[in-house]
Amino acid sequence: MWQWVIEGGGIVVELALLLRGLRTRLFRRYYFFYTYIGSVILGSAVLMTILLKMPGLYSKSYWPVQLITLVTGYGILLEILNQVLAPYPGAERFARLSGLAAFAAIFCFALIAPFLMPRWSPGSVIEFERDLRSVQALFIFGLLALIFYYAIPIGRNMKGMVFGYGLYILTSLVSLAVRSYAGPSFLRVWSVAQPLSLDVSLMIWLIALWSYCPNPVPDPTIHLEEDYEALVTRTKSVIGHIRTYLGKAARA
Amino acid sequence: MIQLIFFLSIGALLFASLFFLARRNPRPEGSSGALIEARQALVALQAGLLPVELVQRIFANEDWEFVRSEAPAKVRELFMEERKKVALLWVEQVRTQIRSLRRFHSGSARSYARLNPRLEMELALSFAWLMSACRLLQVVVYIGGPYAAPRLVGAMANAASRACKISEQSLAFLNAAQLGLLSSGSTGQAAS
Repeated sequence: MWQWVIEGGGIVVELALLLRGLRTRLFRRYYFFYTYIGSVILGSAVLMTILLKMPGLYSKSYWPVQLITLVTGYGILLEILNQVLAPYPGAERFARLSGLAAFAAIFCFALIAPFLMPRWSPGSVIEFERDLRSVQALFIFGLLALIFYYAIPIGRNMKGMVFGYGLYILTSLVSLAVRSYAGPSFLRVWSVAQPLSLDVSLMIWLIALWSYCPNPVPDPTIHLEEDYEALVTRTKSVIGHIRTYLGKAARA
Repeated sequence: MIQLIFFLSIGALLFASLFFLARRNPRPEGSSGALIEARQALVALQAGLLPVELVQRIFANEDWEFVRSEAPAKVRELFMEERKKVALLWVEQVRTQIRSLRRFHSGSARSYARLNPRLEMELALSFAWLMSACRLLQVVVYIGGPYAAPRLVGAMANAASRACKISEQSLAFLNAAQLGLLSSGSTGQAAS
Protein backbone atom coordinates (compact mmCIF):
# COMPACT_ATOMS: atom_id res chain seq x y z
CA MET A 1 0.00 0.00 0.00
CA TRP A 2 2.73 2.46 1.05
CA GLN A 3 4.75 1.61 -2.02
CA TRP A 4 1.72 2.49 -4.16
CA VAL A 5 1.20 5.83 -2.45
CA ILE A 6 4.88 6.78 -2.73
CA GLU A 7 5.23 5.68 -6.36
CA GLY A 8 1.91 7.27 -7.38
CA GLY A 9 2.66 10.51 -5.51
CA GLY A 10 6.05 10.64 -7.23
CA ILE A 11 4.52 10.36 -10.69
CA VAL A 12 2.03 13.15 -9.90
CA VAL A 13 4.82 15.50 -8.78
CA GLU A 14 6.99 14.51 -11.76
CA LEU A 15 4.15 15.38 -14.14
CA ALA A 16 3.50 18.67 -12.32
CA LEU A 17 7.20 19.51 -12.61
CA LEU A 18 7.25 18.72 -16.32
CA LEU A 19 4.04 20.65 -17.03
CA ARG A 20 5.31 23.64 -15.07
CA GLY A 21 8.58 23.45 -17.02
CA LEU A 22 6.65 23.50 -20.28
CA ARG A 23 4.42 26.36 -19.18
CA THR A 24 7.27 28.56 -17.96
CA ARG A 25 9.51 27.37 -20.84
CA LEU A 26 12.17 26.46 -18.32
CA PHE A 27 12.81 23.24 -20.22
CA ARG A 28 14.53 25.34 -22.90
CA ARG A 29 16.91 26.78 -20.35
CA TYR A 30 17.50 23.58 -18.37
CA TYR A 31 17.46 21.05 -21.16
CA PHE A 32 19.53 18.34 -19.41
CA PHE A 33 17.53 18.59 -16.22
CA TYR A 34 14.19 18.11 -17.97
CA THR A 35 15.66 15.23 -19.98
CA TYR A 36 16.41 13.59 -16.66
CA ILE A 37 12.88 14.29 -15.40
CA GLY A 38 11.50 12.84 -18.63
CA SER A 39 13.54 9.67 -18.17
CA VAL A 40 12.36 9.40 -14.54
CA ILE A 41 8.70 9.77 -15.62
CA LEU A 42 9.15 7.16 -18.31
CA GLY A 43 10.92 4.83 -15.86
CA SER A 44 8.22 5.31 -13.20
CA ALA A 45 5.46 4.64 -15.76
CA VAL A 46 7.18 1.46 -16.92
CA LEU A 47 7.68 0.26 -13.35
CA MET A 48 4.09 1.07 -12.38
CA THR A 49 2.78 -0.85 -15.39
CA ILE A 50 4.95 -3.84 -14.51
CA LEU A 51 3.81 -3.64 -10.88
CA LEU A 52 0.18 -3.70 -12.05
CA LYS A 53 0.40 -6.28 -14.83
CA MET A 54 3.38 -8.47 -13.93
CA PRO A 55 4.36 -7.94 -10.28
CA GLY A 56 6.79 -10.87 -10.46
CA LEU A 57 8.98 -9.01 -12.93
CA TYR A 58 9.17 -5.82 -10.86
CA SER A 59 12.40 -6.61 -9.00
CA LYS A 60 14.11 -7.69 -12.23
CA SER A 61 13.00 -4.55 -14.09
CA TYR A 62 13.87 -2.16 -11.27
CA TRP A 63 17.65 -2.21 -11.80
CA PRO A 64 17.82 -1.54 -15.56
CA VAL A 65 15.40 1.39 -15.14
CA GLN A 66 17.38 2.67 -12.16
CA LEU A 67 20.64 2.49 -14.11
CA ILE A 68 19.17 4.48 -17.01
CA THR A 69 18.01 7.27 -14.70
CA LEU A 70 21.36 7.11 -12.95
CA VAL A 71 23.15 7.81 -16.23
CA THR A 72 20.73 10.59 -17.26
CA GLY A 73 21.19 12.00 -13.75
CA TYR A 74 24.68 13.04 -14.80
CA GLY A 75 22.86 15.53 -17.04
CA ILE A 76 21.88 17.44 -13.90
CA LEU A 77 25.53 17.75 -12.95
CA LEU A 78 26.30 18.94 -16.47
CA GLU A 79 23.44 21.44 -16.20
CA ILE A 80 24.83 22.82 -12.96
CA LEU A 81 28.29 23.12 -14.49
CA ASN A 82 26.93 24.97 -17.50
CA GLN A 83 24.59 27.27 -15.63
CA VAL A 84 26.50 28.13 -12.48
CA LEU A 85 30.11 28.24 -13.60
CA ALA A 86 29.78 29.64 -17.14
CA PRO A 87 30.50 33.26 -16.09
CA TYR A 88 33.62 32.11 -14.21
CA PRO A 89 36.04 30.57 -16.71
CA GLY A 90 38.64 29.78 -14.07
CA ALA A 91 36.34 27.91 -11.73
CA GLU A 92 34.64 26.24 -14.69
CA ARG A 93 37.97 24.93 -15.98
CA PHE A 94 38.71 23.52 -12.54
CA ALA A 95 35.29 21.84 -12.35
CA ARG A 96 35.46 20.48 -15.90
CA LEU A 97 38.80 18.82 -15.26
CA SER A 98 37.48 17.25 -12.04
CA GLY A 99 34.27 16.26 -13.83
CA LEU A 100 36.15 14.66 -16.70
CA ALA A 101 38.22 12.69 -14.23
CA ALA A 102 35.01 11.51 -12.49
CA PHE A 103 33.36 10.55 -15.80
CA ALA A 104 36.51 8.73 -16.93
CA ALA A 105 36.53 6.82 -13.65
CA ILE A 106 32.87 5.87 -14.09
CA PHE A 107 33.26 4.64 -17.65
CA CYS A 108 36.46 2.73 -16.89
CA PHE A 109 34.64 1.16 -13.98
CA ALA A 110 31.64 0.35 -16.19
CA LEU A 111 33.93 -1.30 -18.76
CA ILE A 112 35.82 -3.32 -16.19
CA ALA A 113 32.77 -4.23 -14.08
CA PRO A 114 31.42 -7.01 -16.40
CA PHE A 115 34.79 -8.78 -16.23
CA LEU A 116 34.96 -8.44 -12.48
CA MET A 117 31.33 -9.53 -12.02
CA PRO A 118 30.55 -11.95 -14.86
CA ARG A 119 27.47 -13.25 -13.07
CA TRP A 120 25.20 -10.39 -12.11
CA SER A 121 23.51 -11.15 -8.84
CA PRO A 122 21.20 -8.68 -7.05
CA GLY A 123 23.97 -8.09 -4.53
CA SER A 124 26.55 -7.15 -7.16
CA VAL A 125 24.06 -4.81 -8.87
CA ILE A 126 23.43 -3.06 -5.55
CA GLU A 127 27.16 -2.63 -5.04
CA PHE A 128 27.56 -1.36 -8.60
CA GLU A 129 24.86 1.27 -8.11
CA ARG A 130 26.31 2.19 -4.72
CA ASP A 131 29.72 2.78 -6.34
CA LEU A 132 28.24 4.94 -9.09
CA ARG A 133 26.25 6.93 -6.53
CA SER A 134 29.38 7.49 -4.47
CA VAL A 135 31.13 8.93 -7.56
CA GLN A 136 28.16 11.27 -8.07
CA ALA A 137 28.26 12.19 -4.39
CA LEU A 138 31.97 13.03 -4.61
CA PHE A 139 31.35 15.03 -7.76
CA ILE A 140 28.62 17.11 -6.09
CA PHE A 141 30.83 17.55 -3.03
CA GLY A 142 33.69 18.78 -5.23
CA LEU A 143 31.39 21.09 -7.15
CA LEU A 144 29.99 22.59 -3.95
CA ALA A 145 33.51 22.96 -2.52
CA LEU A 146 34.40 24.99 -5.62
CA ILE A 147 31.25 27.07 -5.33
CA PHE A 148 32.01 27.80 -1.67
CA TYR A 149 35.74 28.47 -2.17
CA TYR A 150 35.25 30.86 -5.07
CA ALA A 151 32.10 32.28 -3.40
CA ILE A 152 30.06 31.84 -6.55
CA PRO A 153 26.51 33.10 -6.07
CA ILE A 154 23.74 30.81 -7.30
CA GLY A 155 20.09 31.56 -7.96
CA ARG A 156 17.05 29.76 -6.55
CA ASN A 157 16.65 27.47 -9.58
CA MET A 158 20.19 26.13 -9.40
CA LYS A 159 20.27 25.97 -5.62
CA GLY A 160 17.11 23.86 -5.63
CA MET A 161 18.47 21.66 -8.41
CA VAL A 162 21.72 20.95 -6.55
CA PHE A 163 20.03 20.53 -3.18
CA GLY A 164 17.31 18.21 -4.47
CA TYR A 165 19.65 16.00 -6.43
CA GLY A 166 22.25 16.01 -3.65
CA LEU A 167 19.64 14.91 -1.13
CA TYR A 168 18.50 12.08 -3.41
CA ILE A 169 22.09 10.92 -4.00
CA LEU A 170 22.79 11.08 -0.27
CA THR A 171 19.76 8.94 0.64
CA SER A 172 20.49 6.49 -2.18
CA LEU A 173 24.15 6.15 -1.22
CA VAL A 174 23.47 5.60 2.47
CA SER A 175 20.59 3.17 1.91
CA LEU A 176 22.55 1.21 -0.72
CA ALA A 177 25.61 1.02 1.52
CA VAL A 178 23.52 -0.22 4.47
CA ARG A 179 21.56 -2.57 2.17
CA SER A 180 24.81 -4.02 0.85
CA TYR A 181 26.12 -4.51 4.39
CA ALA A 182 22.94 -5.70 6.13
CA GLY A 183 21.64 -7.87 3.29
CA PRO A 184 17.99 -8.64 2.44
CA SER A 185 16.84 -7.81 6.00
CA PHE A 186 17.13 -4.12 5.09
CA LEU A 187 15.06 -4.57 1.92
CA ARG A 188 11.79 -3.34 3.45
CA VAL A 189 13.26 -0.09 4.72
CA TRP A 190 15.25 0.40 1.54
CA SER A 191 12.29 -0.16 -0.81
CA VAL A 192 10.48 2.72 0.96
CA ALA A 193 13.46 5.03 1.58
CA GLN A 194 14.67 5.08 -2.03
CA PRO A 195 11.42 6.20 -3.77
CA LEU A 196 10.47 8.42 -0.82
CA SER A 197 13.72 10.36 -1.13
CA LEU A 198 12.98 10.86 -4.83
CA ASP A 199 9.56 12.26 -3.92
CA VAL A 200 11.16 14.72 -1.49
CA SER A 201 13.66 15.80 -4.16
CA LEU A 202 10.85 16.22 -6.69
CA MET A 203 8.99 18.47 -4.25
CA ILE A 204 12.14 20.59 -3.76
CA TRP A 205 12.55 20.88 -7.54
CA LEU A 206 8.91 21.79 -8.02
CA ILE A 207 9.21 24.65 -5.53
CA ALA A 208 12.66 25.82 -6.71
CA LEU A 209 11.76 25.67 -10.41
CA TRP A 210 8.29 27.18 -10.12
CA SER A 211 9.49 30.24 -12.00
CA TYR A 212 12.69 31.39 -13.65
CA CYS A 213 15.26 32.82 -11.28
CA PRO A 214 18.58 33.55 -13.00
CA ASN A 215 21.94 33.23 -11.35
CA PRO A 216 23.44 36.51 -10.16
CA VAL A 217 26.04 37.63 -12.69
CA PRO A 218 29.46 38.94 -11.65
CA ASP A 219 30.24 42.62 -11.89
CA PRO A 220 31.68 43.04 -15.40
CA THR A 221 33.09 46.51 -14.73
CA ILE A 222 35.98 45.28 -12.58
CA HIS A 223 38.98 43.86 -14.39
CA LEU A 224 42.34 43.31 -12.80
CA GLU A 225 45.17 44.77 -14.79
CA GLU A 226 47.38 41.75 -14.33
CA ASP A 227 47.39 38.16 -15.48
CA TYR A 228 46.64 35.00 -13.57
CA GLU A 229 50.27 33.96 -13.14
CA ALA A 230 51.08 37.30 -11.52
CA LEU A 231 48.13 36.95 -9.16
CA VAL A 232 49.14 33.43 -8.15
CA THR A 233 52.80 34.38 -7.74
CA ARG A 234 51.88 37.22 -5.43
CA THR A 235 49.46 35.18 -3.37
CA LYS A 236 51.97 32.32 -3.10
CA SER A 237 54.59 34.80 -2.02
CA VAL A 238 52.30 36.14 0.72
CA ILE A 239 51.60 32.65 2.01
CA GLY A 240 55.23 31.60 1.76
CA HIS A 241 56.38 34.48 3.96
CA ILE A 242 53.63 33.87 6.50
CA ARG A 243 54.45 30.17 6.65
CA THR A 244 58.15 30.86 7.12
CA TYR A 245 57.48 33.19 10.03
CA LEU A 246 55.01 30.89 11.70
CA GLY A 247 57.26 27.88 11.15
CA LYS A 248 60.16 29.66 12.80
CA ALA A 249 57.91 30.71 15.67
CA ALA A 250 56.61 27.18 16.16
CA ARG A 251 60.16 25.79 16.30
CA ALA A 252 61.35 28.54 18.67
CA MET B 1 32.26 -2.96 7.98
CA ILE B 2 35.18 -0.85 6.66
CA GLN B 3 33.37 -0.57 3.32
CA LEU B 4 30.23 0.64 5.09
CA ILE B 5 32.19 3.25 7.05
CA PHE B 6 33.88 4.41 3.83
CA PHE B 7 30.59 4.97 1.99
CA LEU B 8 28.94 6.53 5.04
CA SER B 9 31.89 8.94 5.24
CA ILE B 10 31.28 10.02 1.64
CA GLY B 11 27.62 10.47 2.61
CA ALA B 12 28.66 12.59 5.60
CA LEU B 13 30.80 14.82 3.34
CA LEU B 14 27.88 15.32 1.00
CA PHE B 15 25.51 15.98 3.89
CA ALA B 16 27.85 18.62 5.32
CA SER B 17 28.17 20.39 1.96
CA LEU B 18 24.39 20.35 1.45
CA PHE B 19 23.93 21.72 4.97
CA PHE B 20 26.27 24.62 4.19
CA LEU B 21 24.52 25.17 0.87
CA ALA B 22 21.18 25.48 2.66
CA ARG B 23 22.59 27.95 5.17
CA ARG B 24 24.69 29.87 2.69
CA ASN B 25 24.38 33.58 2.30
CA PRO B 26 26.35 34.42 -0.86
CA ARG B 27 28.64 37.43 -0.80
CA PRO B 28 29.50 39.55 -3.79
CA GLU B 29 33.09 38.26 -4.18
CA GLY B 30 35.07 39.78 -7.00
CA SER B 31 32.63 42.65 -7.28
CA SER B 32 33.43 46.25 -6.52
CA GLY B 33 32.19 45.65 -2.96
CA ALA B 34 34.69 42.85 -2.45
CA LEU B 35 37.55 44.94 -3.78
CA ILE B 36 36.69 47.76 -1.41
CA GLU B 37 36.47 45.24 1.41
CA ALA B 38 39.90 43.83 0.54
CA ARG B 39 41.33 47.32 0.51
CA GLN B 40 39.68 48.09 3.86
CA ALA B 41 41.05 44.83 5.28
CA LEU B 42 44.52 45.89 4.26
CA VAL B 43 44.12 49.31 5.84
CA ALA B 44 42.68 47.77 9.01
CA LEU B 45 45.60 45.36 9.31
CA GLN B 46 48.31 47.91 8.55
CA ALA B 47 46.95 50.85 10.48
CA GLY B 48 44.82 49.32 13.19
CA LEU B 49 45.93 45.81 14.08
CA LEU B 50 49.56 45.24 13.25
CA PRO B 51 51.53 48.30 14.41
CA VAL B 52 54.33 47.02 16.65
CA GLU B 53 53.36 49.39 19.48
CA LEU B 54 49.82 48.01 19.61
CA VAL B 55 50.90 44.38 19.56
CA GLN B 56 53.55 45.00 22.20
CA ARG B 57 51.01 46.85 24.36
CA ILE B 58 48.39 44.09 24.20
CA PHE B 59 50.88 41.36 25.00
CA ALA B 60 53.20 43.44 27.25
CA ASN B 61 54.54 41.28 30.03
CA GLU B 62 55.60 44.38 31.99
CA ASP B 63 51.96 45.32 32.54
CA TRP B 64 51.30 41.93 34.08
CA GLU B 65 54.47 42.13 36.18
CA PHE B 66 53.39 45.50 37.50
CA VAL B 67 49.83 44.39 38.33
CA ARG B 68 51.09 41.19 39.91
CA SER B 69 53.47 43.08 42.22
CA GLU B 70 51.19 45.97 43.12
CA ALA B 71 47.55 44.87 42.97
CA PRO B 72 45.46 42.52 45.15
CA ALA B 73 44.44 39.06 43.90
CA LYS B 74 41.00 40.12 42.69
CA VAL B 75 42.43 42.92 40.55
CA ARG B 76 45.09 40.54 39.17
CA GLU B 77 42.39 38.10 38.20
CA LEU B 78 40.30 40.81 36.56
CA PHE B 79 43.32 42.15 34.71
CA MET B 80 44.20 38.73 33.33
CA GLU B 81 40.61 38.12 32.20
CA GLU B 82 40.35 41.46 30.46
CA ARG B 83 43.75 41.15 28.78
CA LYS B 84 42.87 37.67 27.58
CA LYS B 85 39.67 38.99 26.02
CA VAL B 86 41.57 41.76 24.24
CA ALA B 87 44.22 39.30 22.98
CA LEU B 88 41.57 36.91 21.66
CA LEU B 89 39.74 39.74 19.97
CA TRP B 90 42.97 40.89 18.34
CA VAL B 91 43.75 37.41 16.93
CA GLU B 92 40.17 37.09 15.68
CA GLN B 93 40.38 40.45 13.95
CA VAL B 94 43.68 39.56 12.27
CA ARG B 95 42.19 36.25 11.15
CA THR B 96 39.09 37.95 9.75
CA GLN B 97 41.14 40.42 7.75
CA ILE B 98 43.43 37.71 6.36
CA ARG B 99 40.30 35.81 5.33
CA SER B 100 39.15 38.90 3.52
CA LEU B 101 42.42 38.96 1.55
CA ARG B 102 41.94 35.29 0.72
CA ARG B 103 38.45 36.07 -0.56
CA PHE B 104 39.96 38.72 -2.74
CA HIS B 105 42.29 36.18 -4.32
CA SER B 106 39.57 33.59 -4.94
CA GLY B 107 37.19 36.27 -6.18
CA SER B 108 39.78 37.37 -8.73
CA ALA B 109 41.16 33.96 -9.73
CA ARG B 110 37.78 32.42 -10.58
CA SER B 111 37.49 34.63 -13.65
CA TYR B 112 40.80 33.68 -15.24
CA ALA B 113 40.34 31.19 -18.04
CA ARG B 114 43.94 30.04 -17.65
CA LEU B 115 43.47 29.14 -14.00
CA ASN B 116 45.78 26.34 -12.92
CA PRO B 117 43.90 23.82 -10.72
CA ARG B 118 47.09 22.45 -9.17
CA LEU B 119 48.25 25.91 -8.12
CA GLU B 120 44.81 26.78 -6.82
CA MET B 121 44.77 23.60 -4.74
CA GLU B 122 48.16 24.52 -3.32
CA LEU B 123 46.97 28.02 -2.46
CA ALA B 124 43.75 26.77 -0.91
CA LEU B 125 45.71 24.38 1.31
CA SER B 126 48.16 27.11 2.24
CA PHE B 127 45.39 29.50 3.21
CA ALA B 128 43.75 26.73 5.21
CA TRP B 129 47.05 26.12 6.98
CA LEU B 130 47.46 29.80 7.76
CA MET B 131 43.94 30.14 9.11
CA SER B 132 44.53 27.05 11.26
CA ALA B 133 47.71 28.63 12.64
CA CYS B 134 45.67 31.67 13.68
CA ARG B 135 43.12 29.38 15.25
CA LEU B 136 45.91 27.57 17.11
CA LEU B 137 47.09 30.87 18.53
CA GLN B 138 43.53 31.55 19.69
CA VAL B 139 43.46 28.18 21.47
CA VAL B 140 46.88 28.78 23.04
CA VAL B 141 45.79 32.22 24.31
CA TYR B 142 42.45 30.86 25.51
CA ILE B 143 44.05 28.03 27.47
CA GLY B 144 47.38 29.53 28.52
CA GLY B 145 46.46 33.19 28.71
CA PRO B 146 47.77 36.21 26.75
CA TYR B 147 51.38 35.62 27.77
CA ALA B 148 51.57 31.96 26.82
CA ALA B 149 53.06 32.37 23.34
CA PRO B 150 54.85 35.69 23.01
CA ARG B 151 57.06 34.54 20.15
CA LEU B 152 54.14 33.15 18.21
CA VAL B 153 52.34 36.48 18.59
CA GLY B 154 55.35 38.42 17.37
CA ALA B 155 55.89 36.09 14.45
CA MET B 156 52.26 36.21 13.47
CA ALA B 157 52.21 39.99 13.57
CA ASN B 158 55.38 40.15 11.45
CA ALA B 159 54.02 37.60 9.00
CA ALA B 160 50.73 39.40 8.66
CA SER B 161 52.55 42.71 8.11
CA ARG B 162 54.58 41.11 5.37
CA ALA B 163 51.41 39.68 3.83
CA CYS B 164 49.88 43.12 3.83
CA LYS B 165 52.82 44.63 1.96
CA ILE B 166 52.52 42.07 -0.81
CA SER B 167 48.73 42.27 -0.90
CA GLU B 168 49.05 46.01 -1.21
CA GLN B 169 50.81 45.43 -4.55
CA SER B 170 47.90 43.25 -5.66
CA LEU B 171 45.51 46.05 -4.83
CA ALA B 172 47.73 48.78 -6.23
CA PHE B 173 45.62 49.07 -9.37
CA LEU B 174 42.80 50.25 -7.16
CA ASN B 175 43.99 53.80 -6.73
CA ALA B 176 42.21 56.47 -4.75
CA ALA B 177 40.21 57.77 -7.72
CA GLN B 178 38.93 54.31 -8.67
CA LEU B 179 38.17 53.54 -5.03
CA GLY B 180 36.04 56.68 -4.86
CA LEU B 181 34.17 55.67 -7.99
CA LEU B 182 33.58 52.15 -6.69
CA SER B 183 32.46 53.40 -3.29
CA SER B 184 29.89 55.73 -4.84
CA GLY B 185 28.77 52.91 -7.14
CA SER B 186 28.28 50.46 -4.32
CA THR B 187 26.51 53.09 -2.20
CA GLY B 188 24.17 53.70 -5.09
CA GLN B 189 23.50 50.01 -5.41
CA ALA B 190 22.83 49.72 -1.70
CA ALA B 191 20.41 52.64 -1.80
CA SER B 192 18.47 51.29 -4.76
